[in-house]
Amino acid sequence: MNGNSPDGRPRALIVEDEDTLRELIIVTLGEAFDCQEAIDADTALEMLRAAPPDLMLLDIAMPGRSGIDVLREMRADPELQKVPVCVVSAWQSPRDVAAALEAGADRFLAKPFRVDELASVARSLVERRR
Amino acid sequence: MKRFSLVSRVGLLACVVALVVGTIVAAALLAILSLRKSEQSESRAKDVTVATLGVQTLAIEIESSLRGYVISNNHSPRYLTTLHQARGQLPGALSRLDRLVGDDPIQLRRAHDAAGQLQSYLRDYVDNVILIAKISPPDARGAASSDEDKRRTSAIRGTLRSILQTENLRSVRRAVHTRAVSRTAVIIGVVGLAGSAVLVLLFGAWVASGVAAPLRRVAAAATEVTRGDFSVRLDEGGAGEVGTLVSAFNSMARSLEVGRRELLLQNERLRESEQHKRELISMVSHELRTPLSAVLGFTSLLLERDFPPEEQQRYLEIVDTQARRLASLAGDFLDVQLLEGGGFELERAPFDLIELAREQTRLFFSHTELHELVLDLPDEPLIIDGDRDRLAQVVGNLLSNAIKYSPEGGVVRVHVGTQDGRAVFSVSDSGLGIPPEDRDRVFDKFFRGAAKETTVGGTGLGLAVAREIVTTHGGSIAVDSSVGHGSTFTFELPLTLTPAATVSA
Repeated sequence: MNGNSPDGRPRALIVEDEDTLRELIIVTLGEAFDCQEAIDADTALEMLRAAPPDLMLLDIAMPGRSGIDVLREMRADPELQKVPVCVVSAWQSPRDVAAALEAGADRFLAKPFRVDELASVARSLVERRR
Repeated sequence: MKRFSLVSRVGLLACVVALVVGTIVAAALLAILSLRKSEQSESRAKDVTVATLGVQTLAIEIESSLRGYVISNNHSPRYLTTLHQARGQLPGALSRLDRLVGDDPIQLRRAHDAAGQLQSYLRDYVDNVILIAKISPPDARGAASSDEDKRRTSAIRGTLRSILQTENLRSVRRAVHTRAVSRTAVIIGVVGLAGSAVLVLLFGAWVASGVAAPLRRVAAAATEVTRGDFSVRLDEGGAGEVGTLVSAFNSMARSLEVGRRELLLQNERLRESEQHKRELISMVSHELRTPLSAVLGFTSLLLERDFPPEEQQRYLEIVDTQARRLASLAGDFLDVQLLEGGGFELERAPFDLIELAREQTRLFFSHTELHELVLDLPDEPLIIDGDRDRLAQVVGNLLSNAIKYSPEGGVVRVHVGTQDGRAVFSVSDSGLGIPPEDRDRVFDKFFRGAAKETTVGGTGLGLAVAREIVTTHGGSIAVDSSVGHGSTFTFELPLTLTPAATVSA
């Protein structure tokens, strides 16, 4: 319903401040997803509102507002409530994981993650939604 | 008075009380002696009076029995018997009187006078009258009633009376003196006892003010200390031992306070260091995970997929950079151990500082497009004698900080030169800047200032290690900064080679 990209691939929004990791995720998912990128929370929210994607991969610790803030705003917005979110974070204490899931994340991937796991989580989140 | 010690206070009081008691006892002794003397002299006066009256009685008996003998017509021998008896007793009575007044010349002379008068009366008158009476009683009657008889007997009486009067007078005087002495003794005793009582009371008050009150204050202060208030202090001073106690108490409280402050400070430092360690562990795990994700992710992609050669090249470069980042992090943690162990082992050798600057800037600015690098380097090499790897670490740290703390990008200026015979290396950015209160602490290990609240990564070790390296080289490092306009870090090192050597190099 959010409209796939012109070539039919689902759209994924990658929110990550670290250039190399953003590139890694895009290269990993690039074949199956039409990837868009944001380097901070505000840019991410702007892009979310402009066109809600089919999946979002979200870092937590970023300059400015955190990924948790993005999650809270999304879950309070009826338009964005249903967008599946996978949090990808280096902060992975039980408290950090609980905070992310409580704020509305669907999955939590800890850094360093396996690229095949990332790909399968992304796929399953999009399929489950359909 | 405050200067007297307690021992001298007690000693002083004991002396004063002893003096007073001694005076009382002496006065009482004097009074007793005087009374005894007075008693003695009274009893002597009595004895003298009795003896004198005895003599007088004998004299009167002689006189009256003589008159009776002369007047009675039959010359009754009864009168003569009485007269002879009296006459026989007279020497004894006289010598008793003599003995009693022996120590008094005036009375003795009077006694002798009386004895002489009596003897002459008996010898020159009584014997003659008896003789006359035996021969011619009427003549004897005339003689007995003659003026001579009266004169002689009244002379004897007069002498004896004067003895009695003198003795009586002396006795009265002695009694008056004794009364006066005992009255004085009583007064001294009463005044002395009252004075002693007052003195003892005053001493009690003195002890109370000088000992009990300060002791109470010390006890109250000690209770405060027991409750944990070590700031309590007593007014210094007080008599002798009490003053010593007060100042000993104060120095005890002082050292307790200092000790506790030190303990608290130490505790605070331990807590801080514990907090730093916790933060470090958390930071380490986070800092390691990002490059580790890139290395693992790209290698598994390279292993699993086929990429065009140029992409393969790019991903391998990323893997290489991130692996180096990991290595540098590992190096930082090794350096912590060096910092804690104290001191680096430098491997000194001459090298060109300019070349080092070019190498490091190339390394750090190849991956950033936001920052503009401005190099301000001399044309000739600048040779210094030092540990190249360690100094490269310092330069690398300053460059990575300049990039890291100017997230919006901007100009990074690197200047190398000489000043006052020392090599000067500075790195300026146009980034966030450092607040004044943090400037002294940026070189402390684990200090990250405001960066802790942001996502700017780091361990808080780089500058601490950099300072250690620079100072071990005999140099110094400093920062100049303005919040919102950027920071300039400058380190300087001694130039160990001559300009000639520099040119030939």
